[in-house]
Amino acid sequence: MAEVTLKGVHKAFGDNAIVRGVDLEIASGELMVLVGPSGCGKTTLLRLIAGLEQADAGDISIAGVRVNEVSPRDRDVGMVFQSYALYPHMTVRENLAFGLVLRKTPRAELDARVAEAAALLELSPLLERKPKELSGGQRQRVAMGRAIVRRPRVFLFDEPLSNLDAALRVQMRGELQRLHQRLRSTMIYVTHDQVEAMTLATRLAVFNQGILQQVGAPLHLYENPANRFVAGFLGSPAMSFLPGRVQGQVVAGKGFSFALPAGAQVAAQDVLVGLRPQALRIAAEGALRGEVEAIERLGSEGYVYVRTEAGPVTARFEGAADLHVGALVAIAADAASLQLFAAADGTAIALRPPPAVRAAG
Amino acid sequence: MRSLRTPLLHAALVVLCLLTLYPVLWVVGMALSPSQGLVSGLWPLPAHPTLANFTTLLSATDSAGRLLFLRQLGNSLLVSGLTTIVGLSLSVTAAYAMSRWSFPGRKLGLTGLLATQMFPATMMSIPLYAILDKLHLLNTAAGLVLVYATTAIPFCVWMLKGYFDTIPKELEEAALLDGATPGQIFRRVVLPLARPALAVTALFSFMTAWNEFILAATFLDDAARFTLPVALQRLVGEYRTDWGTFAAGALLVSAPVMAVFFALQKNLVGGLTAGGVKG
Amino acid sequence: MSALVALALAASQLTLWHAYRAAEEEALQQSIALFEAANPGVRVESLALPYDAFASKLSAALPTDHGPDVFIFAHERIGGWARESKIAPLDAELAELGPQFIPTSLEALKFEGHSYGLPLALKSVALYYNKKLIPKPPATTDELVALAKAHTGRDAAGLPTYGLAYQLKDSYYQALWLHGFGGSVFEEPGHRLRIATPQAERALAFVRDLALRDKVIPEEPSSTLVSALFRAGQAAMAINGPWFAGELSGVLYGVATLPIVSATGLPAKPFLSVEAAFVSARSSHPAAARALARFLASRESAVLRAVLGRQVVATRAAYDDPRVGGDALLRTFRRQAEQAVPTDNTPAMQAFWEPSNRALAAVVGGGVAPADALAQAERRMIALTRPVPERRSAWPYWIALGLIGAAALVFGARKRTKSLATGPAASRAARRLGLARAYAYVAPAGAGILVLVLVPFVLGVGLSFFHHSEGHYTFVGLHNFIEILGSSDYRLTEPMSFWFTLAVTLLWTVSNVALHVGIGLGLALLLRDPLLKLKGVYRVLLIVPWAVPNYITALMWKGMFHRQFGAISHLLKAFGLEPISWFTHFSTAFAANLVTNTWLGFPFMMVVALGALQSIPADLYEAAEVDGASKWNQFRHITLPLLKPALLPAVILGSVWTFNMFNIIYLVSGGEPGGATDILVSEAYRWAFQRNEAYGFAAAYSVLIFVFLLGYSALTRKVSQTEPA
Repeated sequence: MAEVTLKGVHKAFGDNAIVRGVDLEIASGELMVLVGPSGCGKTTLLRLIAGLEQADAGDISIAGVRVNEVSPRDRDVGMVFQSYALYPHMTVRENLAFGLVLRKTPRAELDARVAEAAALLELSPLLERKPKELSGGQRQRVAMGRAIVRRPRVFLFDEPLSNLDAALRVQMRGELQRLHQRLRSTMIYVTHDQVEAMTLATRLAVFNQGILQQVGAPLHLYENPANRFVAGFLGSPAMSFLPGRVQGQVVAGKGFSFALPAGAQVAAQDVLVGLRPQALRIAAEGALRGEVEAIERLGSEGYVYVRTEAGPVTARFEGAADLHVGALVAIAADAASLQLFAAADGTAIALRPPPAVRAAG
Repeated sequence: MRSLRTPLLHAALVVLCLLTLYPVLWVVGMALSPSQGLVSGLWPLPAHPTLANFTTLLSATDSAGRLLFLRQLGNSLLVSGLTTIVGLSLSVTAAYAMSRWSFPGRKLGLTGLLATQMFPATMMSIPLYAILDKLHLLNTAAGLVLVYATTAIPFCVWMLKGYFDTIPKELEEAALLDGATPGQIFRRVVLPLARPALAVTALFSFMTAWNEFILAATFLDDAARFTLPVALQRLVGEYRTDWGTFAAGALLVSAPVMAVFFALQKNLVGGLTAGGVKG
Repeated sequence: MSALVALALAASQLTLWHAYRAAEEEALQQSIALFEAANPGVRVESLALPYDAFASKLSAALPTDHGPDVFIFAHERIGGWARESKIAPLDAELAELGPQFIPTSLEALKFEGHSYGLPLALKSVALYYNKKLIPKPPATTDELVALAKAHTGRDAAGLPTYGLAYQLKDSYYQALWLHGFGGSVFEEPGHRLRIATPQAERALAFVRDLALRDKVIPEEPSSTLVSALFRAGQAAMAINGPWFAGELSGVLYGVATLPIVSATGLPAKPFLSVEAAFVSARSSHPAAARALARFLASRESAVLRAVLGRQVVATRAAYDDPRVGGDALLRTFRRQAEQAVPTDNTPAMQAFWEPSNRALAAVVGGGVAPADALAQAERRMIALTRPVPERRSAWPYWIALGLIGAAALVFGARKRTKSLATGPAASRAARRLGLARAYAYVAPAGAGILVLVLVPFVLGVGLSFFHHSEGHYTFVGLHNFIEILGSSDYRLTEPMSFWFTLAVTLLWTVSNVALHVGIGLGLALLLRDPLLKLKGVYRVLLIVPWAVPNYITALMWKGMFHRQFGAISHLLKAFGLEPISWFTHFSTAFAANLVTNTWLGFPFMMVVALGALQSIPADLYEAAEVDGASKWNQFRHITLPLLKPALLPAVILGSVWTFNMFNIIYLVSGGEPGGATDILVSEAYRWAFQRNEAYGFAAAYSVLIFVFLLGYSALTRKVSQTEPA
């Protein structure tokens, strides 16, 4: 177990900067999820930590020791690849044991550790099979087992569940969580799926275009996004943004006007009003009016997509509301849940004095 | 419609196969024919097949009473086998380096490899003759192996590089994280995975050496040191042509290579063309 | 004296090279055994070389220490070897032994005032006749023609019969008519090679009438055919050498000297080839070597060789032996040899054969007028005997080479520093380590290629700046290239011109690759259906041609294209068509080559296309089907674009292979007619090995081929890269 520290890490391929000045501290035993859209640099960052890529600038430390020049095989990290990268010519047992064999682990210990990992991942009956004889989920577990067996200081996961179907993904997510609880190791997990990120992470690090946007506990990020990108990326369905302007205690735009929460002190400026679907409801009277464009019924609840004068808005409804496409509806908002972002650069605007900083992790 | 299509397809394929195989049947016919001349008739197989041509070929001796065909077979095996071993063993690491690592000179090397395919091989023979002469290697199996290696090495590098390109990089990264040194990755991950590629490359090098005759005819003097193609070529000689013996020899020369060829046919072209795609 | 010789010979080990086979080799071995028995200290190691490669091998080996002490060869090359002092003059021996030999043989061994080699055997052709059909051999050509006509037609079984069979397209045979019509190959005085003479014209016209008007001679008569026809009684007469007798067991035949040409009253005189024992000028045991040569020419060995090997020996005394003198065959050939013209032994003679053969083929095969064919042959011959160009100073070339090298070094160094300069210092060290590893991995193959490929390559390129003649190299700068590209000696449309050959090569490459890809892709599409039964069987059967060695393929198809006995002719006859003489017209000869090479080449493209087809996802076609695309549109817009990445490299590779496909051209059409179907490589080969060993010229051809292909591949690479992916 070890902490991982990144300081000013920079990486470019040719003229294309992929990772731009990332500072990040990952505590020992933490499950840190790196999340962001494709091409945001999260996988590259993971490969930099593994040593599969060389950083152009900055320091990467594991357990307090700078490892920039340390070969991947000496960094003592385990990695699960998106493609699993199982050795096709070896059986499951050989795949699991390969790292230990290379490190000249004594035979008895090797067998014990392989058996232990196999039992943990329910791979024991499959040990003599070749990877091509396994199902997708089984391969995935072998890939995890291969990392576990070596007991590395840090586990790295590169979108390990993206090749599985939805049901299996949920199941494996649970197994991963249990694994983390059991091993208590430092894990760094890359995904572009924000649901996966929210459910797994001890802490989340959100990336966009090579820049770290915000780090923190999932709920903290959800409730207090640092900018419009984080706010829009986390949460499903995504937050709606309406252009407007703050004037005194009121924020107003085309066809809408909200009172700011009591005690809010915001300078007059152009803003984007962020509305989570969960904070909106269909009502007889409301601050917003518009025409229903689409309805998504999920059974006990649903979402309705409404075109308002100021822009598209998504609202949640409960039960089987009497709605149909083309109907004119009013939407009421919970003023306390409004979030404001500067129109100029998208940074969040605090509505009340900042609360005490929560203890991280 | 559908029911008519399949029989038509089969009919077309059968005709095409017959067209393809006819020349081979013709050689089989000549080999089994009791006369030494060409087959005279459309149907290539003789009415009274005999193995006389094979007996003639196998029992031919030189003035010292040595069985020529068996010796020549041995020479061919030795030369082709050694060429294959030399070609593969020298080129396998280079092919891997060319496929995986970038280093100054790599591009030049790849272009050079391709360029070797373009210099007409018959013309290398004049300088090669002089070099072998200086090294006292004319008329020896070793000399011929060196000559064949000139084409085998670039070819093997090119083929194997093509195959290595198709092995996913993640496998090696996984091995690296598992603690393998570059040497261990190469030996324990890449080489076992490249086994079919090695087999096919070996087959092609072997076939090239096994089938070559112009250079062998130039560099070998002694009938007892000939490789089989030179011996066969001499049967279709200046003053007389022993078509029957030639055909029997042609079958014996082709048969073993064809057997291996068919055993490996599924893997035949991967590296040959894959190498060109990534460049 | 003899004791002295025995002493001198005591420690020697001699090497003897020859090209004999079977009975002749056996007779030679027994002679050697006798010699060794008589000279106990001397060991003779004899080596039988392949006939085709013997001359070039001798030329290469004689100046080295690995050549033979004594070798047996025909007298034709004496001039070249003598000028280069490769063989030792044997004036003393011939002065002493001369009268013992048949006079024409001595004439053959003289060159510029010296005599070389002791004559062993005489080879010329004479007239064989089937005694069942022809009781008395013809004495004149009028008789010959009458007899031949009488025996041309069909026999009882309906098979064609011919009055006369011989290899009429070979100048070696044509020479007997040339001499009979009063002509000669060299013009006296001045000893200048002449092909276009009135006598040659008349001789050609005579043969043309026999072949084309009277049709008494089979067309395309190869040695095999001549033998088969004569043995089967389908040819009443044949012109052939003493070796022919070995194939005639069971045939009642006679041999006679060639008839007198009625038009001139002169006898038809064949070329005489004198096989002699030569002593290498570099032999380390000259005394023993001479003794061996003397022994081989002695009566003792001659009787052995005549009786056992059935050689027409040059030693007159051998005919006193009843086993020799009583042999009608040997007697007749001896008489014919006395009435024969030794082929010229100067190097100039080498320039006679190719042009002369082509003229002959053009007249009896293509119906060209003798005068025109001879005039063209004369021009060709003059081109072949290129004078040694002026020696050039090598300095400008060294300077240019130095400048190019320096530029390359500077360029390379700049690139290198650039690539190393990036990145922080620490990772630079890691990079250095990586580089060291990469170079270590590349080293074995790199070293191999450097020594085995680069050195011969550089020597080969260097050779293109030299003129080679009889072992002497003269630096001529770019002269070879200028002559080739300037096409100075011939019109652009003549087969000898580089540009003509280039055009043929391009046509050859393009049509082959188009057929390979077309057929290969077509078959792959047929075999694609995953539900097709027996798919594996078809696939295996269809790739058979790929597994057959290509020289066997070539010889096999050459046989199939045979005018009389080839399968193709049988096929044409089965359809009621006339068989075709495939190699007398450019179009048919080219087609024969093309068919052969297509058979050989399509399986490769088929396998490539099959592999590529399997990697195209089926749902693409389903999507297209849903979109309403026709089969053709699916092929054009899905199959072809997705096949391209796999097919393109295969096409590039295939076109390079085809461009240099020597074996097929050389073995199938052999460049016929008149060199028109030769491609650049086979032309290069001919310059090196069939036309006065013009190594420099051949090397220049090769360099041009190389440059052309390099440009081609660079271009295709560029095209495939600039296209949007």
